[in-house]
Amino acid sequence: MIEVVGLRKSFGPKQVLRGVSLSVEDGESLVVLGGSGTGKSVLLKHVMGLFKPDSGHVSVDGKVVDQLSRDELFELRKSIGMCFQDAALFDSMTVAENIGFALTRHTDLNPTQIRARVEECLHLVGLVGGGELKPSELSGGMKRRVGFARAIALKPRILLFDEPTTGLDPVMTDVIGNIILDLKAELGVTSITITHDLKSAFQIADRIAMLFRGECIALEHPEAFKTHPNPVVQQFLKGEAEGPFLQDPPPLHHYHGQPAPPAPRSAHEA
Amino acid sequence: MLLTAILDRTGLWVLQALEQIGDFVVLGSRAFRDIFRGPFDRRAVLRQFAAVGVYSVPVVALTGMAVAMVFAVQLHYGFKQFQAEGLAAQVEGLAIVRELAPVITGLMLAGRVGSAMAAELGTMRVTEQIDALECLATDPVHYLFVPRLVASMVMVPLLTGLAIYIGYWGGYELLVGVQGSPAAAYQEGFYKLLDLRDLWIALVKALVFGIIIALVGCWRGYRARNGAEGVGSATTASVVTSSLWILIADFFLTKMLLV
Repeated sequence: MIEVVGLRKSFGPKQVLRGVSLSVEDGESLVVLGGSGTGKSVLLKHVMGLFKPDSGHVSVDGKVVDQLSRDELFELRKSIGMCFQDAALFDSMTVAENIGFALTRHTDLNPTQIRARVEECLHLVGLVGGGELKPSELSGGMKRRVGFARAIALKPRILLFDEPTTGLDPVMTDVIGNIILDLKAELGVTSITITHDLKSAFQIADRIAMLFRGECIALEHPEAFKTHPNPVVQQFLKGEAEGPFLQDPPPLHHYHGQPAPPAPRSAHEA
Repeated sequence: MLLTAILDRTGLWVLQALEQIGDFVVLGSRAFRDIFRGPFDRRAVLRQFAAVGVYSVPVVALTGMAVAMVFAVQLHYGFKQFQAEGLAAQVEGLAIVRELAPVITGLMLAGRVGSAMAAELGTMRVTEQIDALECLATDPVHYLFVPRLVASMVMVPLLTGLAIYIGYWGGYELLVGVQGSPAAAYQEGFYKLLDLRDLWIALVKALVFGIIIALVGCWRGYRARNGAEGVGSATTASVVTSSLWILIADFFLTKMLLV
């Protein structure tokens, strides 16, 4: 179980997280929605122990992440797989070496067993036979899938996905969504997925949280989320420019040769 | 008000400088401690030995040869004023072994190898590959710093040895081949003012320069921020910082080791 309690984090004067609290049950798939710069990735990096909170904490299976020693933290990380937004593959290594990296370092498997596990992981993400390619030879979608394969190589109990579908075409977005569902079904993992993409969100979520200006403003099951009364949630779901979501909305109408009229005051400002 | 502002800025500058020094010392200490901790990626270590050592042979050989020849020209011209051309080989030997070979090798490698380390680690930082290492339960200091540090500690002294050897023949070509000094006089003169301690001093200097090049390059890259611009700044800062530290260290090592 993952618990986030009153998590606050600032970078210089910018407050990114302002007291986020949420929890993810074992085996549950939580999707975190929100606009750019609302602290979604920062939240995931706190779960991984890559950032230390200013206040509040994240605990995984009762262990407070920022209070663990470095060795304890590495031990915990072996049970968590992290999929980065741009895959973050090691570009000096082949696909197979990327996937087998943690297996080589943290298990007693021999090279044959490692190769077998790498092939198994590639099969799970639909990339059989691509082991000898270099990351520079892969498309965006393939990189994400290799990133998934690398994250599941050690058979983690928890998977964290940081915007797995951003920048991909709709077909590849659906493919990635299906892979996440397959991984969940086959591995039974607990997962947190950060995304902007509503279709994938409703496809893979058991519950959906929404971050807005560093706070968690909604945490609901998908059906309840659709009818959430918060106007920010509704604006996000409808994808409309007008509303409280944007702090500085761009001009909405353009008049030929004339300056655009001032933007209407948002409900939030009102 | 003005005084307060000046004190404020000075205090901030001092704090930032102390923070940077502290960070460098902590990361450097961790790298030294981790030299003796497994697991080791043999391929990564061998790759660094090739990158630092083997691929640097041409540049070290060329600069070693060029500097030795230019220095021989200057010495020959200078001593000729006093009809003492015979001393050129002796001073050439002294200068190459004690100063020119280690310092020129160190500076060339700071530019070639240290910058590459900063650029590689900087790129890994801004593309989240270092975060990925952390997430795969791998200490980036152990995985990235240690192979580069070990390779530099071994290869910079070896390349300094090569620069001494090449420098000997550079001086020979110039003084014997061009200026017409007797070969036997050059061979005898080159070693006349030297003893084994001088070679030892050169290798100690090279070892320290290797440590500076690797740690500064890795540290600058590891702390790179802000995308491509940050990687560029880290690379430049790595060359400038390590070159300065090589020259400063050279002065103090010379003072200490010659006593």
